[in-house]
Amino acid sequence: MLLAAPRFALPETVAEAVAALAERPGAVLVAGGTEVLPDLLWRRRSAAGFVSLRRIPGLRTVVPGLTLGSGVTAARLQRPDVAAAAPALARSAASLGTPQVRAEATLGGNVVSALPYRNLLPVLLALDATLVLASAAGEREVPFDGFVLAPGQAALRPGEVLTAVRVPVRTGFQDYVKVGRRNAQYVATVSAAVVVDTAERRVRFGFGNAAATPLRLDEADRAATAAVDWSTGAVTLDGAEAVAELVRRGVDPPEDDAATAAYRRHALGVLARRLLLRAGGADDR
Amino acid sequence: MTDDEWVSYELTVDGKPHQVTARWDESLLTVLRERLGVRGPKLGCAHGRCGACTVTLALDGESALTCSCLLPAAAAAGADVSTVASLAAGDGALSDVQDAFLEAGAVQCGYCTAGMVQSATGLLERNPDPTRDDVVAALYGNLCRCTGYGRIVEAVLATAARRRNR
Ligand SMILES: Cc1cc2nc3c(=O)[nH]c(=O)nc-3n(C[C@H](O)[C@H](O)[C@H](O)COP(=O)(O)OP(=O)(O)OC[C@H]3O[C@@H](n4cnc5c(N)ncnc54)[C@H](O)[C@@H]3O)c2cc1C
Ligand code: FES
Ligand code: FES
Repeated sequence: MLLAAPRFALPETVAEAVAALAERPGAVLVAGGTEVLPDLLWRRRSAAGFVSLRRIPGLRTVVPGLTLGSGVTAARLQRPDVAAAAPALARSAASLGTPQVRAEATLGGNVVSALPYRNLLPVLLALDATLVLASAAGEREVPFDGFVLAPGQAALRPGEVLTAVRVPVRTGFQDYVKVGRRNAQYVATVSAAVVVDTAERRVRFGFGNAAATPLRLDEADRAATAAVDWSTGAVTLDGAEAVAELVRRGVDPPEDDAATAAYRRHALGVLARRLLLRAGGADDR
Repeated sequence: MTDDEWVSYELTVDGKPHQVTARWDESLLTVLRERLGVRGPKLGCAHGRCGACTVTLALDGESALTCSCLLPAAAAAGADVSTVASLAAGDGALSDVQDAFLEAGAVQCGYCTAGMVQSATGLLERNPDPTRDDVVAALYGNLCRCTGYGRIVEAVLATAARRRNR
């Protein structure tokens, strides 16, 4: 422990963090703090103390294959090793916040924030990522799919720390797009990720702000998979339009100051079609 | 305030070591400005959008430009923080980036300038030959409500050109 005060702890291991949290009732975990500090400022959250994960070296590592520590920053996700293994994740990290925010914002904070418009979440869905969670009771691994229960509510048990995110390495096209009033200083009005797996001959989407939680659509994935000519990789316009229609029908987007539900529904169809055509090698449209 | 609110730790700022005692939830920006009297970083938005509070944080062998308003200061215990004050030579002479900002008229009220200069200096260290797009991307997290960015971008490009010809 680098620092231990009644309301603040700076552990160096996950075990120390779990213990420090248990000893400080009302304390919150802070990784980069890029959400926690603004939330406290705007009184959207209260805290009786901080347990900081910032100085746990084990949470900041990237293991090829790909296991990302929860403390890996958005800036780190943009680097070539991650960009090669999970291109959509790197693309998504590149439009998260500002350069200064990306230097501190962590993967784990993005996941546990559990908001449907957070950048990395549709990508983790499309990639079939799993989460490693640690508590005094031990470790468990769960799929990311299903981890977000409601806006802002993750299936994290009391006292649990997200330690790592495992991301299967797929060969094939990947991309992420985000529609917003500005690209990074605003949250995504809507977003979408696509992951093509040429080994399993499968296409998978993830959608942001398309419902109360990050969304996957099995029907759209099946149609997209069928729209690819797997011998050439090409995608037909008709096939892509059929996928767009399934997306428009399948989403249940929120309505707020940024956009109507109808706009979001339309835009999500456009993003799905665009991503699939890009995957098929078409020029950007 | 009760005794349990306080945390004590060390911070080095612009090369000078300090022993800090602050509340557990104070941001690095608050500690720098209110506890240590370091006035280079400015309080703009306090939530990560404007970049007026940008500092260089060297911690555990890594160094990056970051918003000091977003970081709980105690999490940076033992860190080496550099502000705009460490860019100049110390004898009152400005850095070449600062000179270029003045020459280009890239400063009006000056509120954003310390953060802008920090981000620009960081960019030129990483990438001595930036394109205009590189400069715009590097300054994306720094907002200016007066100067209109054109002159700021010019100042950064001019510094890069001058360093290449040196
Ligand atoms: C100016 C600005 C712009 C932004 N733009 C974007 C954007 O474009 N896209 C986007 O997605 N986000 C954006 N964000 C939000 C934020 O930066 C990201 O969600 C970031 O990834 C959060 O990570 P963090 O480490 O800072 O989280 P923190 O603030 O430290 O924590 C966030 C939440 O997660 C919990 N938590 C963190 N780590 C763990 C863990 N390991 N285990 C359990 N719980 C944990 C915390 O208790 C807290 O509830 C922006 C923020 C700012 C300030
Ligand atoms: S004061 Fe920190 S970004 Fe505005
Ligand atoms: S010069 Fe006034 S904010 Fe930039």
